[in-house]
Amino acid sequence: MSQPSRLEHIQSLTDASLGYLSLEELLSELLDRIRQGLAADTAVLLLLDEDRGVLVARAARGLEEEVRQGVQIPLARGFAGRVAAEARPVVIEDLSQAEIVNPILRQKGIRSLLGVPVLVEGRVIGVMHVGSLHHRSFNDEDIALLQLAADRIALAIDRARLTEQRSVTEVMQRTLLPDALPQIPGLRFSGKYLPAGSGVKIGGDWYDVFQLPDGRVTFVIGDVVGRGVMAASVMGEIRTALRAYLIEGHSLEAVMTLLNDLLSSMGRNRSATAAIFELDFESGVLESVSAGHLPALLVDPSGQASFMETEPGLPLGVSAGGRYPCTRGTFEVGSTLLLYTDGLIERRSEPIDDGLERLREAGRHAAELQDGPFADRVYLELLDENPLEDDVALLAIESLPLGERLSMTLDAVPGVLAGLRRTIGRWLAGQGASEAEIFDVTLAVSEAAANAVEHAYGARDATFTVEGQREPDRVRMTVRDDGRWRNTRPYGRGRGLAIMRSLVDGVEIDSVDDGTTVTVVKRLEEQRP
Amino acid sequence: MSSLAVEHIDGVAIARLSVDIDASNAARVRGELSDCFQRSTDQVVLDLSTTAYLDSAGIDMLFRLSQRLRQRRALLLLVIPDGSQLSRLARIVGLGRAMPVHDTVDDALRSLSNPCGAGKPA
Repeated sequence: MSQPSRLEHIQSLTDASLGYLSLEELLSELLDRIRQGLAADTAVLLLLDEDRGVLVARAARGLEEEVRQGVQIPLARGFAGRVAAEARPVVIEDLSQAEIVNPILRQKGIRSLLGVPVLVEGRVIGVMHVGSLHHRSFNDEDIALLQLAADRIALAIDRARLTEQRSVTEVMQRTLLPDALPQIPGLRFSGKYLPAGSGVKIGGDWYDVFQLPDGRVTFVIGDVVGRGVMAASVMGEIRTALRAYLIEGHSLEAVMTLLNDLLSSMGRNRSATAAIFELDFESGVLESVSAGHLPALLVDPSGQASFMETEPGLPLGVSAGGRYPCTRGTFEVGSTLLLYTDGLIERRSEPIDDGLERLREAGRHAAELQDGPFADRVYLELLDENPLEDDVALLAIESLPLGERLSMTLDAVPGVLAGLRRTIGRWLAGQGASEAEIFDVTLAVSEAAANAVEHAYGARDATFTVEGQREPDRVRMTVRDDGRWRNTRPYGRGRGLAIMRSLVDGVEIDSVDDGTTVTVVKRLEEQRP
Repeated sequence: MSSLAVEHIDGVAIARLSVDIDASNAARVRGELSDCFQRSTDQVVLDLSTTAYLDSAGIDMLFRLSQRLRQRRALLLLVIPDGSQLSRLARIVGLGRAMPVHDTVDDALRSLSNPCGAGKPA
């Protein structure tokens, strides 16, 4: 082969325009070019499946059967296995004298082979080899040229894998972490999810918040053992099952027991730690159960931080029949509850108690600061120069006093009505309304909200807003939607309106093209200056 | 979770509801009440003493169900404690004109064993 054509071949392998091809096009193009450049009869790319420890044929020229038959070569066995195991080029001049795993090579009549490892950052991710039907000895230049092609392929495959993993990770995160934490007046949520390292392998850490129809609010934190898409999908299973059990009305103990039995019955590779908290606003009681999860941090209104003494049960999925006793505590207005996964506090070479103490200190300090979401404040306190060793999920729940103004945006679905009534009741109680006044205003506003929901029927992502304002001698509440006030069911709606008018002192309906605003006014016995 | 907890005493079904009835569940509660009638008895006592709210969708449902049952000579009785917020609402909308409303479950059961006591006016 003459010198200029060698240079041309090098150029053909490093051609920048290759970067615009899809991975499939690039592989096929490079195999063609290398086969031509080395005047070889066959060119094959095998990629390493790390989990199973085998090389799998990925693309081929002149040996297309390899890919079609899904040829798999164990590491360290045969020709390609040897190239991968030794991570260096291997030449076989006479195939009849060598140990070969893949019978296709002999059937094809290949005589001589040259193989090089496909390397990413020094790690073998595959093997590329060319073959000749005639006896041939490959020289150093041939080896260098094939290695050049292998390096180009390594780059492309690594980039494609990264992109693919990222998009899977992103989709998983979007699906599995609540996209927006619910708006519940009197509570402020801030959440954080931080993947360790390059962020391409999502962990099984998660948090969740949701409100039951009777107004109770549930917080969940958990951590599935393992990382990657498998851990994330187990996390999704647990999250869904947990919500389903709670909606069915089971107690916290029962929910955890059911989850444990479910995971234990689903086979290996499914274990997790988790803790569930349930807040009853009316009593301020906070119930909790824990399946081997680290204790939540509670910062009280005076700024003192302590760990909640939830009696811990076994992690989920470890053994069936575990028990999860429920612990009762209180969650006063002005307190903050901090839920987290172990990645937040664990440092290699440090006892866990030191990490817990650092967190306690960070929580106490975060409560003194005002800037930014609470979860961010805690995280910034704990941040050090070390990269994260594990994923971190963090959820802070602050209990705030309800002010003279109430404002909330709700999904226009019937399921929100019960929670809305509880929230309005809580707000009105804080404004000094009597039991009868609370009932009347709540029911009137609920009727207006039911109408907003009915208007939005079938519309996707429709919302409506509810606002309340305490005035010196009364409360004024508005329900605003962006549909039209339609008397679709005169009988029912007529009754709804009649009920509203008989319960409160004023009902005003203002319907314009871009929506309806219902204003409800009620005088309160207790006056405010 | 079923919205209704049902028990039977002397051939009368007593259904206790502990959640609000509103647009989100009125149809389901109606279905569950209808099941009580089909399975057992011509008389169902619906105990609303632990129900906090009943909106117009819930009230409509009770009126319509009671009307249907009357045509079949079956009877729906409500238990709404005197002096509760719900009893005030029941008076406003006139629930008592369409079906018997009693102070307690015992009162409701007594009215069934004594045909003269057909429920107090509400």
